[in-house]
Amino acid sequence: MKTKLLSVNLASRTVNSGSNKVTLLDKIDLQVNEGEFISLMGPSGSGKSTLLNCIGMLDNFTGGGYTFLGEPVHSMKEKNRTKLYKEYIGFVFQAYHLIDELTVLENIETPLLYKNVKSSERKALVADMLDRFNIVGKKDLFPSQLSGGQQQLVGIARALISKPKLLLADEPTGNLNSKQGEEIMELFSELNKEGVTIIQATHSESNAAYGSRIIHLLDGKITSE
Amino acid sequence: MFKNYFKIAIRSLLKHKGYSFLNIFGLAVGITCASLIFLWVEDELSFNTNFDKQDQVFYVPTNQQYEGEWRTFYSTPGPLAQDMKNEIPGIIRATRSSLQESLFTVGDNAIIRRGRYVDPDFLEIFSLNFIEGDRSNAFNNPEAIVLTQEVAEQLFGKEEKALGKIVRINDKDNYSVTGVIENLPKNITFTFDWVAPFERYQEGEDWMSYYGNNFSDTFVELSPEVDFATVDAKVRQLVQQKDENSNTYAFLHSIKDWHLRSKFEGGKIIGGRISYIRLFIIIAFVILLIACINFMNLSTARSERRANEVGVRKAMGSSRGKLIAQFISEAVILSFIATLVSLILLAILLPQFNQIIDKNLTLGLSQPFHIISLIGVAITCGLLAGLYPAFYLSSFKPVEVLKGLKITENSAVFIRKGLVVGQFTISIVFIITTILVYQQIQHAKSRELGLDKDQLLSMPIDYDFIPNFDLVQQELIRTGSVENATLCNSQLLSGGNNGSGYRWKGGTDTEDVLISSRNVTESFFDTTGMEIIEGRGFSTNVKADSSNVMISESLAKMMGDTDPIGNIITRGENEMTVIGVVKDYVYGNMYEASDPVLFMHFPSYARHMFIKTKEGVPLDKAISDIETIMKKHNPAYPFEYTFIDEAFDAKFKNEQLIGELSQIFAILAIFISCLGLFGLATYTAEKRRKEIGVRKVLGASITAIVKLLSKDFLKLVLISIVIAIPIAWYYIQDWLQDYSYRIDINWWVFIIAGLLAIMIAMFTVSFQAIRAAIANPAKSLKTE
Repeated sequence: MKTKLLSVNLASRTVNSGSNKVTLLDKIDLQVNEGEFISLMGPSGSGKSTLLNCIGMLDNFTGGGYTFLGEPVHSMKEKNRTKLYKEYIGFVFQAYHLIDELTVLENIETPLLYKNVKSSERKALVADMLDRFNIVGKKDLFPSQLSGGQQQLVGIARALISKPKLLLADEPTGNLNSKQGEEIMELFSELNKEGVTIIQATHSESNAAYGSRIIHLLDGKITSE
Repeated sequence: MFKNYFKIAIRSLLKHKGYSFLNIFGLAVGITCASLIFLWVEDELSFNTNFDKQDQVFYVPTNQQYEGEWRTFYSTPGPLAQDMKNEIPGIIRATRSSLQESLFTVGDNAIIRRGRYVDPDFLEIFSLNFIEGDRSNAFNNPEAIVLTQEVAEQLFGKEEKALGKIVRINDKDNYSVTGVIENLPKNITFTFDWVAPFERYQEGEDWMSYYGNNFSDTFVELSPEVDFATVDAKVRQLVQQKDENSNTYAFLHSIKDWHLRSKFEGGKIIGGRISYIRLFIIIAFVILLIACINFMNLSTARSERRANEVGVRKAMGSSRGKLIAQFISEAVILSFIATLVSLILLAILLPQFNQIIDKNLTLGLSQPFHIISLIGVAITCGLLAGLYPAFYLSSFKPVEVLKGLKITENSAVFIRKGLVVGQFTISIVFIITTILVYQQIQHAKSRELGLDKDQLLSMPIDYDFIPNFDLVQQELIRTGSVENATLCNSQLLSGGNNGSGYRWKGGTDTEDVLISSRNVTESFFDTTGMEIIEGRGFSTNVKADSSNVMISESLAKMMGDTDPIGNIITRGENEMTVIGVVKDYVYGNMYEASDPVLFMHFPSYARHMFIKTKEGVPLDKAISDIETIMKKHNPAYPFEYTFIDEAFDAKFKNEQLIGELSQIFAILAIFISCLGLFGLATYTAEKRRKEIGVRKVLGASITAIVKLLSKDFLKLVLISIVIAIPIAWYYIQDWLQDYSYRIDINWWVFIIAGLLAIMIAMFTVSFQAIRAAIANPAKSLKTE
C-alpha cells in the first residue's frame, strides 16, 4: 500500500502584472505518493518552476487546495508552513546557490542550524554526508574553489542533510556538462531507491527518463502524464 | 548559531575590504568623536561633586537692584555668614571667604600664591583632608595658615614636614603652618593654594563688619534634614532685615550648580554652561547617527549581493527572525571592531583634544563605567545601524531572488536618499554654525575697546611698593624700553570694585546706578591708551586731585544736558568734582556695554601695575630691563607678569572653545558623510555599469556621463541646503541672543556653506563617476 505524500487539487497561481492578471498555473491536479520520482517537462515559461516552488512552499498557490502529509497547506499560517517544510522538504537549484562565505562543511551544516540540531549530532550527520558523497577532502574549501559538478554535489548533500521525505530539484543539471549531469541523475535514482520522493523539473528528455513518472506542462496546464 | 554568524560576518568583511573599510572607519571616527565629547561632558558634570557634603553645601550669591534691574553678584556683606548661621535654623555652618594673592617667603624661597582667608567652618564645610595637622584645631592659632601639599613642598621641600614652620607673608607678617591638606582636585570651581583665618585679614578693617559693603564670598552648610525652600526663603529676607536701605538680597545656590548653572538674568538662573553640555551631548549623538546612516546606506545599497544568500537561507529553512538576528549580529560585530579602532584613534587624539579644551582627560579604561559605556555605544550603534538593513534584507522573497529577478528597491532607495539628505543637512548646519561662531568671536574681538591692549604688561604689587612707584616709573622710562607705567586698584579688563549711591546734577535716579571705581595714577590714561575727550587729566599732585574725579563717557551722558566738567558727584559725605571725561572702554563682559566708571587719583589702594613697553623695542629686552628695576626696588617679590592682550584673549576662551569644537565637528561630520557618499557613488556606478556602457556605445561623452551620475547626488545636497539653512539660522539666532554686542547674520554665509557642501560632495562623487565614465564599454557589456 502506497502512502500519499501530497495532493494538489485544482490549484492555480496568478500574478498581477500591471493591470493584467497573468495565470502561471491553471487548475493543476496532482497526486504524489511516497517513493515516486517525477519529472516535470515543458518549455520555458510553462510553469515547471512555479509548480515546484509552490509544492516546496517557497511560493503559494493563489487558488485551489494543497495537502501535504494530510495537512492542509493552503490554509496554514506561514510559521507552521515553515515548520512543515523544514522537516520534510529539501531543495536543489540549477545555479547551486551555495553560500559563498561558507565552506563546504558549513554549507551542508546550515539547514541543521535552522532545525536547532545539537552540535555533536550535527557533526556526526555532516561527517556521514561528506563520506557518502566522497567529498571529505573538500570539506574546508569554499564554493568558488569547486567545479560546477562538485558544487551541485554539495547542493544535494545540503538538501539531504535534514533527511527530507521530498527532494525538489529545479533543473539540477542545467549548468553542468552531460557527464556531470549523468552522475547527478544516477545519484537521484539511488536516492529514490532508498525511499526519497523526488520531483525534478527538466528540459532534457534523457534526464526525464530517470523518473518513474513524467508530467508535461504547457502554459500552466498539465497536458499529459 | 552565533558562531556561524560571526564566521560569516568576518569572512564577508574580509572579502569586501573597501566596503568594510568605509563602514568601520566611518563608524570608528563617529565613535571617537562621541567618546571625546562624552569624556568632556563627564568631566564637566563632575565639577564640585568631590566633596563629602556636596548636597548640603551652598554658595550665597546676592541679587542687587540697579536702574530697576536685578543683577547677580557673588559678593556678600561681611557679617552675612555669621548672621545666617546664628539666626536661620537649619544652617549649621557658615564661612566668609576672600581670595587674595600673597607673597610667601621662607628663607630665600619666595613665591606668589592665591589663597583664601576663611572662617574655621570652611575646613569642615569642604571636608578638607589634612595630611599634617588636624582639621579640628588648625585655626585655633590666630597666626595659623594651612597649605596645600604642593605649596608646602615648594616652600619646604619634599622631605621636610611643614607643620609648625613659619612662613613670612607679603614680606611683612609671620604665619605658622598648622596644617597641610591634600592637593585639591582639578574639577572644582574655586581653587586655592592656602587658607588662613579671616580674623587676621579683617584686623583694622572695620568696614568689613557692616552691611552695605559687599566684598566677600559666603558659603554655608545646611543640615541634611532641613527643607531647602524654607531655609532659602529666610536667607532671602535676611539682608534687608539687617539693613533696611539695602537694594540687596542673598539666596542659596548649590555648589553642584555653580559650575553649570550660573548664568543669571533678572536675578534668576537661566542656565549657564549646562546649555553647552546639552548641546554637545546632542552633537555626539548626531555624529554617531551620521556614522550609523553610512552603515545603513551601504548595507542596503549592496543588498543585491546579499539577496542570494537571503534566498538560499530561507530555502534552507531559515525563518525571517533568524535572518534578522544574523544581520543585526553582523552589524554589532562590525560596530565592536569600529569601537576597537576608535580606541586607537582616541589614544592618538586625546592629547590634542586636551590641548584644545585645556583639560587633562584620560581614557580611564580601568573604570568599569567607561568600559560599560563603550560597550553600550558599540551595541547601540550596531543596533541602530543594523536594524533597518536587517528588516529590509530579510524581507526578500526567496523565489524572486533565487530566480535572479531584480529586486524592486523603491522603498530602500527613498529611505537611502532621505538618509543622505539627513547627513548633509547636519553637515551644512555645522558649516554654517562654524562660520558664524567664528564671525561673532572676531566681531567681539575687533570691537572698539577704548584702550590699547598691546604691549601692555600687568604685575601684581603690594601696598608697600606704592610709595616707590614714582621712582620706579622714572627709572623704567629712563631704560628706553618703557613708554609709561601706572597703578590701578583693579585688573584692566576685569569688573568688580563697584558700588552705587552716587548723586550728581542732571539725570534721574542717580543713586541707583552701579558705578565701577578705579583708583589710578595720573599716568593711567597715557599708559593704557585711553582717550580723554573732554576736560583734562589728573595732575602730578595726588593731594591737589584729592577731590577731583574723571568719569567715563557713559556716566557723562547720564548727566543729561548738564556740562559734566565741573559737575559735583557726591556719595555720602564725599564730594567729587569732575575734571575730565574719558571715552568708554570695554571691561568685564566683552559682549556687553560696560558699566560707567569713576576714576580717582588715589593710588594708595593699588594692587596692579601696568607697564606699556615702547614700540620697536624687542619684548625680551624690555622685559629684562623691567626685571632689573623691579628686582632693585621690590627685591622680596619674584618677578611675575602677565600680558593684557593675553588676558583679553582669555576672555574669549569659552566662545573660542565652542568655535574650535564646532569646527572639528563640522569637519568630522562632513568627512563621515563623504565616506558614505563615496560608498554610495561606488555602488551606483557599479549598478549602472551596463547603462553607462550602452550610452557610451551610443556616443555619450565622458562629461555627459559624469553629469548623469553626479546629478542625482547634487539634487540631494541641494535639498539638504534648503533644509539646513532655517535650522542653522534658528540655532545661531538663539545663541547670539546671549550677546548684546553681536553680529548680524549675513545671507552670504549660507551661500558659502552651501557652495562648500556642493563642492565637497561633488568632489567625492566625481571620483567614482569619472572612473565609471572612462571605463571601456566593451568590458562592461561583455559581462552581461
